[in-house]
Amino acid sequence: MSQIVDTTVIPLRDPTVLDRASSGVKALGRFLRGKPLGGTGLIIVVVFMLVALLATVIERHDPDVIFEAPNPDYKSNPTVVELARNPDIGSPVTVNQFEEPGGEHLFGTDKFGRDIWSQVIHGSRLSLIVGLGASIIAVVGGLVIGMISAYYAGIVDLLIQRIVDMLQAIPFLVLVLVFTQITERSVLNVVLWLGVAGLAITTRLIRSAVFAVRESEFVLAARVVGASDLRIMVRHVLPNVVAVLIIAFSIGIGAYILAEASISFLGAGPQGIPSWGQMVQAGRGSLDLHPWQTVFAGGAIMVLVLGFNLLGDALRDVLDPRLRGA
Amino acid sequence: MQGYIIRRVIGAAFVVFLVGTFSFFAIRVLPGDFATASLGLDAGSATAENIEQRRSDLGLDGSIADQYANWLWDTIRLDLGTSFLTQNSVWYEIGRSLPYSIELGILIMIVGFSVAIPVGLLSAIFQDKPADYILRTLAILALAAPVFWTAAIASLLVLEWDLFLIDVIGQPHIWEDPQGAITWYLIPMLAGGFAGTAATMRLLRSQMLEVMRQDYVRTARAKGLRETVVIIRHALRNALLPVLTVMGVTIATIIGSQVILENMFNIPGIGNKVLTALFARDNPVFQSVVLIIAVFTVLTNLAVDIMYGVIDPRIRLS
Repeated sequence: MSQIVDTTVIPLRDPTVLDRASSGVKALGRFLRGKPLGGTGLIIVVVFMLVALLATVIERHDPDVIFEAPNPDYKSNPTVVELARNPDIGSPVTVNQFEEPGGEHLFGTDKFGRDIWSQVIHGSRLSLIVGLGASIIAVVGGLVIGMISAYYAGIVDLLIQRIVDMLQAIPFLVLVLVFTQITERSVLNVVLWLGVAGLAITTRLIRSAVFAVRESEFVLAARVVGASDLRIMVRHVLPNVVAVLIIAFSIGIGAYILAEASISFLGAGPQGIPSWGQMVQAGRGSLDLHPWQTVFAGGAIMVLVLGFNLLGDALRDVLDPRLRGA
Repeated sequence: MQGYIIRRVIGAAFVVFLVGTFSFFAIRVLPGDFATASLGLDAGSATAENIEQRRSDLGLDGSIADQYANWLWDTIRLDLGTSFLTQNSVWYEIGRSLPYSIELGILIMIVGFSVAIPVGLLSAIFQDKPADYILRTLAILALAAPVFWTAAIASLLVLEWDLFLIDVIGQPHIWEDPQGAITWYLIPMLAGGFAGTAATMRLLRSQMLEVMRQDYVRTARAKGLRETVVIIRHALRNALLPVLTVMGVTIATIIGSQVILENMFNIPGIGNKVLTALFARDNPVFQSVVLIIAVFTVLTNLAVDIMYGVIDPRIRLS
């Protein structure tokens, strides 16, 4: 008597691409309807991404151009006394500094007569690169380390966890400041170091997720049939922690954007690129009379981080409600 | 229970040792040291011999291994050395700056928790009503706003509306010149409190919603207890426990924002010290301040863990 083995494979999903795309659109529609806050976050993020991509198109001026205005005190042949009293009196134009928002300069001009609107627009590039880049590095690194830590357990796990404890006992900002000073402060290096500083949190999150999966019966079954460690990790554990990865990725972004803004505010951020944090600091010198640079740059940080946080919260609720409050 | 506490204490001591080692090597990996920074290599005023001389005065000339052994031995004996920058002993520097940070930290916590607890509570009671949405939006905004920006905007509003004068001479402690110190601390403490406990509020809300569904809350209601008694005595007590668990994280967040706030408002606290020491490559001060912050966070976590072990016996075994 032979056993009856059913060899027909039931496809889980229809493999046609068209159908998959339309189900993606449907899922997005469901997400937007079911999670209005998450939808708002998504819209904010998409708008900022478009702004960053199209910065050179929608900018009204070059962010580095210094605007000039006719000098009201101009005199063609000033006397020595007049020059001593007002050194700029001899030049027909002055820097058009601290113009109020509206008109030609949508957000006004800064101390050096540069257009704040263009600066804010260009600043979105750095924040998005830093947020997304650092979060990817932290999640990928955290996945590798967290898996090793959880899967091999024992002494390896203990050591990794103590190092994670160590990194978490140092204020994140101090950690980032130390790391970013090691190398030249290019955008790439800052992204890299922010991701490294974030490893502690992602490692811990992913480790506990892997621990939960490790104890499940299908992993035991895979081991019984003689699957190798690598195969178990990639084929059986990984697909089951994808939700945690997406959550860790989306929730981290806002924190990295804030961290970059903070170090830029302290004057230790990436060099040679407009940064919102550094703009907030630059505007503080004239905060009482001309607050616009500080107001708009900081507002941009807040709105973008808000967008990512709302989106991350909604994704977490949809993918893994147990992580609420994490 | 004893075994559990001993395990935890050894773990905590090891973490503190790791933090010390990390900060020892971190400050030495950074380009430049105090000898080059203080002599102004770029100005061309210092010769190579000057710098070598300076290094050996500072104890920076030995091999890294020797320096590490010296540092370890000194630190174990609680000798933190002398500040390169001020020539004062590091203990003196810490003794001067720590009180400012503790003051500000406590003020931030008072502001934060006295907002977060009622707000989290109200938000849970009025779940999905307009009040809940407004309060949650506020919390989400507080999480998203950079603390230096909130503080800058607060200063702007104070200036714009002539709310109060920052009427402070010198750098008084709150017990020396209460009025002056409060005007000095007010903006950083509000901004820090706003940022530091938004997470607490959200956590408390979700915990309250969880707890309010429990059988013992229904029992309390069925007994005919007043709603306020049910909420405060039965629900809030249980919902606050997880908030305590993340106390270590909350304190870490607050210390992080203190670094920036102390810098912005010229408060000579630990946070300011760590920045100055880092940028000036003042190795002894940097190492010690990072170590002290770490001891503080680790002790908080230890206390929470032990308290939890007392409350929940299952945790002791894990």
